[in-house]
Amino acid sequence: MTLAATESEPERIARGLRHRDVALLQTLVQQYQYRLVRYFIFLLGTRDPVDDLVQETWLRVLERGRSYDGESRFEPWLFAVARNLAIDHTRKHRLVSLDSDDNDEREAVSFSPVSGADSPFEQAARSEDAQHLAQSLQLLQPVYREALVLRFQEELSLQEISQVVGASVSTVSSRIYRGLAALRQQMDGGAHAN
Amino acid sequence: MQTDRHQSICKLIDKSLAGDVSSQEEKSLRQHLLACAACKQYWDTSNRAIAGLKGFAFETDPNLPGKIFAALTLRAAQLETQQLSHRQLAWSYVAALVLTLAGSFAAMQLGDRFASAFSASQQQVQLGLIAIWIVPSVCFCLLLPTLPLMSKRRLHAKGLPL
Repeated sequence: MTLAATESEPERIARGLRHRDVALLQTLVQQYQYRLVRYFIFLLGTRDPVDDLVQETWLRVLERGRSYDGESRFEPWLFAVARNLAIDHTRKHRLVSLDSDDNDEREAVSFSPVSGADSPFEQAARSEDAQHLAQSLQLLQPVYREALVLRFQEELSLQEISQVVGASVSTVSSRIYRGLAALRQQMDGGAHAN
Repeated sequence: MQTDRHQSICKLIDKSLAGDVSSQEEKSLRQHLLACAACKQYWDTSNRAIAGLKGFAFETDPNLPGKIFAALTLRAAQLETQQLSHRQLAWSYVAALVLTLAGSFAAMQLGDRFASAFSASQQQVQLGLIAIWIVPSVCFCLLLPTLPLMSKRRLHAKGLPL
């Protein structure tokens, strides 16, 4: 039996990254392009820097791919790389801290575009429920949006999310609960819970 | 009492949606939802919100993968060159070290033979070897590790990525 036949998908990716296999990276770029774009939009609440950050993410993957051990899934490692770049970006542009868990409304507003027309969520809403949620998402703290996208769209486990965000599982759970509470309030037609 | 029960079930629903409940808790939650309309509504609203999250379709730049491939190919080539120059540097360092040791050995052990061959004193030959062989190779050994730093500074001065 060949090595390729016995190794798992994460092991295959780790081997390719160790050898800086550009062909493998091209496959991964195609496979994860939309997911990275969506993650960055949820994290930053804006569309502007996303394409540059996606490109930076893959360059970082090429450079530091050797640190991926292939023992756990690739996605949490990839999103952790992306998150670090987003944090660097927010620091450079003095946006709200992605590590901040406080509920400072002033920071949330300064982070998010004020105009609804600029909101990437309103532009991307395709269903009636999504349209309901768009405004709420725009006003929600980035850490809650991030927890929601990683849990309900990327379908990562709590442990994997805690690996991505570098916080405890209980912190991750509470971010998910608070994010969900804000969305539920919007679905009920109530005021924002941010 | 009823409110407490409702709140604890709501918490359990949140935990269930976050993927943080045991199979036993999940089972008891399902049973409760069959019997309690208020909790069922909370469950349904939560699921509608989650389904709503899936109703976003963000546009992506169709040219982005092409740009990324080009950047990756360029960076991979740069890294390859960098790795190669590091390897060359390591071999140069080994060579300089070997030369230093060989020079020292020659000065110590073969000084008298050279002295008779060149009609000079052993001390003169040793000093000559130190001046033309050992000192340059020691300097080379000491300077080699600073070369990558110097080349990085040069690139930085030109405004190129390091």
